[in-house]
Amino acid sequence: MSGDSSFLAQPGRRAAIPIMVLLLLGFVAPLLAVVGFSFMPPRTFGLWHEPSLENYERIFSDNTYVSLLWSLGLASLTVVLLALICYPVAYGLVRVFGRWSTALTLLFTIPLIVSENIRLYGWVLFFIKGGVLPGTLKALFGVEMGDFLFTPAAVLFGMVYVYLPFMLFPMTLGIAMVPNQMREAARDLGASRWQVFREVELPLSTPGLMIGSLLTFVLAVGAIAEAKVLGGQRIIPITHDIEIAFTYAQNWPLGAALAVLLMLVVSVLVLTVLKRFDLDQILGKR
Amino acid sequence: MFDSHLTRRNFMKTSASVAATLAASQMGPFARPAHAARDKELNILCWEGYNSAQVLDPFRSSKSANVKAESLTNDPTMINRLRAGEINVWDLINVNNPWARKVMMPEKLIKPLDRAKFEPYFEKMLPQFKPPYKWAMDDSGKELLGMAQRFGPYSFVVNTDKISRKTAEDQGWDLFNDPKLAGRFGILESDDWNVFGICAIAGFDPYKPHSPEEVAKFEETAKRVLKNKKVVGDIATMNQALISGEIDCHLTGGSYSVSPARADGHLNLRAITPNKGPFAGGKGGIAWIEITSVVNNPQGSPLAETFLEYVQDPVVAHTVAFAEGTFNPVAQMGNPECFKLFSKEQLDAIQWDSLDEEMARSVEYDIVPDYDKLLDIWNAAKKS
Repeated sequence: MSGDSSFLAQPGRRAAIPIMVLLLLGFVAPLLAVVGFSFMPPRTFGLWHEPSLENYERIFSDNTYVSLLWSLGLASLTVVLLALICYPVAYGLVRVFGRWSTALTLLFTIPLIVSENIRLYGWVLFFIKGGVLPGTLKALFGVEMGDFLFTPAAVLFGMVYVYLPFMLFPMTLGIAMVPNQMREAARDLGASRWQVFREVELPLSTPGLMIGSLLTFVLAVGAIAEAKVLGGQRIIPITHDIEIAFTYAQNWPLGAALAVLLMLVVSVLVLTVLKRFDLDQILGKR
Repeated sequence: MFDSHLTRRNFMKTSASVAATLAASQMGPFARPAHAARDKELNILCWEGYNSAQVLDPFRSSKSANVKAESLTNDPTMINRLRAGEINVWDLINVNNPWARKVMMPEKLIKPLDRAKFEPYFEKMLPQFKPPYKWAMDDSGKELLGMAQRFGPYSFVVNTDKISRKTAEDQGWDLFNDPKLAGRFGILESDDWNVFGICAIAGFDPYKPHSPEEVAKFEETAKRVLKNKKVVGDIATMNQALISGEIDCHLTGGSYSVSPARADGHLNLRAITPNKGPFAGGKGGIAWIEITSVVNNPQGSPLAETFLEYVQDPVVAHTVAFAEGTFNPVAQMGNPECFKLFSKEQLDAIQWDSLDEEMARSVEYDIVPDYDKLLDIWNAAKKS
């Protein structure tokens, strides 16, 4: 095989053409359109104007960074909280709960069938004044619940709730990947339960934690419904800024520039993490 | 066969000819005839209500038509969609009053209706819609641009158990300047309308060019109102928050937003039109009137005009008024055949008792000359 004519000589490459065309049209082309729009003058609707950096200048000159910081901050906090919450649950599902694990897994999975917005509105009814929780507390104990709904804390609660399965299941797989023999060998060699956990189980289940964290972070940084529904728009995440630019503001180029910025920031963060923790190495190039 | 004889050069040649064939089929003699392919389909871009099964299903079955309707909750987005090329997708567009004559017709996004065929319908509407009805006509007064149906006042909503109707009407937009209201009111996420509301709270008319001092006042008011608010949300959130007592009133709202709660028996929640305000002629509130127009779609469906006639029928007009999601007065209530279909509860839900006086105290929704600037300030204020 040599020369230009040989590139498509391999059947594999020829067979890949349809999927490559599909990806180019369905994935790369819209992305390029978004990038292209971000360089168009503000409030224009075509891709053929003279390119300009005005949208990016505006992003860095006004208070858009506030939205970006909210999104990144809330996503990071969500990941940390979910790691702390999900590890014991995942450990229980794999090692402790036995035959109840399937039922518990189902309980975690079933809510995913229901639309996220409906589940969040359910929480509104739970936390709203006179709702399930404040109403019960008042009726049974005469306790007035302080404001929780429509606060940033409610947004964080919503994000932790919505993204829990996306951390839990990779983590469960990660823990399940730790061979029992390793744990037994460690115990036989005199390791305490804490040492077995810290030196065997935790390092070997890191791939699950890593994949869960990355997945959750990427999804959470794009969250919008939690801040709208549970947060009562007390805070505006970057995704909401993008939505406003594309709708009420009729400013597609600004919305596109915000989307490009978000993609860049998230890509840099994810690639930095991936560089530091080589998944191939962690997974042993399986 | 797709074999190893394929080189990069002949692959490019093959691709080019396939692309050319595809392009030719779109433009040339192979292009589908304008109407032949679309006489059984209709695409409607509208505010919620017209997309409900109650309205569309009888039309679908009587015409054996495939009718698709997408609802959005702001006019600029809908106009945008047409501007961005969806003029080839939609057959009807349903937006508020000024857009047809001031934007869509000048930009050739819509086309005129047959005046002889459609103007007689206006004769049967409520008195204020008698032909030639301003918002349904173009600037020259010759072309009919669309049909009127739903309308209503839209300023703000209060829980009258907490703030009496009289206090709200007398105090008007100043209510939101009252520091005592901090943490007790919501804002409906309807940003084009919120720009109008903030102008009114700041004490000036939104529908005229603004001085730098007024723009500065707008910014100060926007920041203050946003700081003092309890929640920003959609109509369901506002109604839920009013009913539960989380808030006492909310900015931007009217019969369109509060009618579902009133229909559910919460008659203490009421749309308010202030007695006086900063609008032209000292009027206190804002009202909207929807105009539904035929999109200037090169392959438009002939069913577009048929649908416009269909919704004029008294029974269908009543269904439109009480389609799911939002309940509203309709211009066709001027026809006794239509009016008699409304029950007392339904009239209560849409505040029929005060509709005339509230419309008289309102200016009609218009386009804000420096909307983009004010909206940018409003959106920036949300993050401060």
